[in-house]
Amino acid sequence: MEKVGIVGYNQVKLYSDANYGRYEMIFEAVRGAIDNAGLKKKDITTVISCTNDYYDGRTISNCFTVEVGGGYLADESKVEMDGAHGVLYGLMRILSGNHKLAVVWGGSMASCFPYHTARLYETDPTWERPNAYVNDITAAGFQMRAYMEKYGVSAEDIAKIAVKNRKNASKNPLALEEAQNSNITVKDVLESDIYAAPVTELMVAQPCDGVAALLLAPEKHALKITDKPVWITGVGWNQDPYYLGDRDLSGSKSMELAGKMAFNAAGIKNPKDEIQVAELFEAYAHEELIFSEALGLAEKGKGADLSSEIDGKLPINPSGGAIGGNPPCATGLIRIIEAVKQLRGEAGKYQVKDVKKAVASGQIGMCAQNNILYVLEGGA
Amino acid sequence: MGRQVAIVSAGFSEHASKRSDVNMGELVSEAIEDCLKKVPSLEINDIDAYVNGNMPAFEGSNIPELWMTDWMGARNKPLIRITTGGTTGGSVAIAGYYTVTAGLPGVETVLAIAFEQQSQGDTSVGLASVAYGEISILNSMGATYDHLTRLLSGGAAIGAAAYQATTYMNKTNITEEDLARVVVQNRHNAAKTWWAHLKMPDLTIEQVLDTPYIQYPLRYGMVCPASDGACAMLFTTEEKAKDLCDIPVYVNGVASVANESAILGYDGSGSAQIDPSMQLGAIRSSELAYSQAGISFPRKEIDYVEVYSPFPNQELMWVEKLGLFEEATAPEMYKTGVTAVNGELPVNCSGGVNSTNAIGASAMERPAEAALQIMGKASNQVPKTVHASIGSGWGGSLNLITLMVMADEPQRKWR
Repeated sequence: MEKVGIVGYNQVKLYSDANYGRYEMIFEAVRGAIDNAGLKKKDITTVISCTNDYYDGRTISNCFTVEVGGGYLADESKVEMDGAHGVLYGLMRILSGNHKLAVVWGGSMASCFPYHTARLYETDPTWERPNAYVNDITAAGFQMRAYMEKYGVSAEDIAKIAVKNRKNASKNPLALEEAQNSNITVKDVLESDIYAAPVTELMVAQPCDGVAALLLAPEKHALKITDKPVWITGVGWNQDPYYLGDRDLSGSKSMELAGKMAFNAAGIKNPKDEIQVAELFEAYAHEELIFSEALGLAEKGKGADLSSEIDGKLPINPSGGAIGGNPPCATGLIRIIEAVKQLRGEAGKYQVKDVKKAVASGQIGMCAQNNILYVLEGGA
Repeated sequence: MGRQVAIVSAGFSEHASKRSDVNMGELVSEAIEDCLKKVPSLEINDIDAYVNGNMPAFEGSNIPELWMTDWMGARNKPLIRITTGGTTGGSVAIAGYYTVTAGLPGVETVLAIAFEQQSQGDTSVGLASVAYGEISILNSMGATYDHLTRLLSGGAAIGAAAYQATTYMNKTNITEEDLARVVVQNRHNAAKTWWAHLKMPDLTIEQVLDTPYIQYPLRYGMVCPASDGACAMLFTTEEKAKDLCDIPVYVNGVASVANESAILGYDGSGSAQIDPSMQLGAIRSSELAYSQAGISFPRKEIDYVEVYSPFPNQELMWVEKLGLFEEATAPEMYKTGVTAVNGELPVNCSGGVNSTNAIGASAMERPAEAALQIMGKASNQVPKTVHASIGSGWGGSLNLITLMVMADEPQRKWR
């Protein structure tokens, strides 16, 4: 595929209960991204928003965000998935040759709605929703158990991921304050409240308020806008079947196929050696292990042995990942932004050394039913 | 640069006010089956990627394609979801075009699906929240709860459309009879379309004008029904399309442009800052899409039109705003039969949204029917040969317009 440039980005600080409105937040994110690239409103030709009607409590949730998102009289549309899927649509629009600058923004305010109740409306309305036994939390419990049983991984190993991400988050000024903790221990994680055994509270990426925005441009145009463009060289996305019994929960086939598609597009043969940093949307700590294995960054069942700290062999989620703050519809977009920061050397205290290629992922659904993966490369 | 995209097929489910014989997944698979059976050399496994959408609030099911994966045959396939309210179908079709034109490795044949099963929930309640959302803003502006009740009734589509209709009528001096004439043409056309909902082959203007008002000037008999239904379209590359069907329909221009949302007015009472019948979004959409398709004289170059018009005044408005007729001349065209099936520029021969409205699917049914007319496979096929056609969508708070321009020849001028 032709490469597409990321020329600007912005993310608002994540709050568990932000003291300002949705539209202000969207405006701050989009305006910040345009300023970040040194552009003007008139340069925007297309806008892709990522929101969800259920999360926003409003039918056609994008209809009142036209002006604040920069979409007035621009060609605009909405992807009702993760922000990372919105980037896919923005990317397609750039590749079509119809557009010169795409704004992709996504986000919501989880403080305004009961997140896990809204998620319940994503389940099968006939068989599963009425008794609510299968929902995103219990499904995560099943998945963590399935992964532990199959590969003999202990709960401590998974808690270590939560510890790492919360410690990383403490170095990220934009992360959720409640998730930042530089003194957290494995014991703290295992002894926190049980969500759905064996998943505990501190292993969960807690929903919060936040919006992020990203600017995309075709190769030639990107080089004019910035001298530090980051290129999207590969993308893959895939959806698993719905019923948990139809899937092998100890792995993620959709992530495996998404990875294959993205690595194929980017010409990556051996991801483990060619990628220097990964930003993965882990809604629960164990998903980080399952994803890194599905992507071939670690052998099956050996994800926990990977040295994935900021100064490790293959850092995963140096920004703190989704556990560092999970604003629905923005989290995957923030993963891409964090990977861009690493490639541009703008990650501050959590900067990884010598990053040439990075991957970033997004997801929706129970046990990450639909996954999307990007391969990003730095350098002009 | 993007590659040329072609439509190979389009399919529909049967539409009715209550399709209680099927669930949402089954409804969708009906449309997919109809779409794929027209392309016998293609199997469902040959589809590389999916795009789909509906208005999730109407059925009370968020992101329903998660559990509907298998009904679409999308197991372990790339899939994305696009929703933009009333324009969802149009936006999904446009996303189908972009998915093919982007030229991502391994993605050539894309199935776009739009659906709605309104009998599962309450559409008006779903629509009311469009205008009802900003309670905090309204309270801070001093609106009382009495206002809020009014806003709820104004929030559903007809409340907003009535303001649009009256401002348009004020500008153009058209009568209610002109509106009824549009309805009669649509319902007669619907009678010849197999999948349509309100089939009324003998409807007269008097009968329409005899029904009670819902909100002036829109009468009960003038308004679209609430339908259950689904639509599917198959997009692929130019090379593949030539192998798959006799007359591939090339997508030459797409646009979806929104005007400002303030059009409803903050208290929903029509005290809007801008004229709701001005429709800058439609004008800008047509500029963009026509310039991509290399169309300079839409009236001459376009042979067939499908516009999204749940209310008859909108049909008159859109054909003018999309550059097909001069301002305020559309009613005359309906009177003289220019827009009839055998007319010079047939409009909505499928019966349009006015006769069938499964909201999420409606805006896709427009380009789907417009494409079938070029292929010569539409139910109510026009007698003349159709070389170029357009299909539009309308949604948001009166302000978002999608447009797809199709032709039997690929257009490469603009590339």
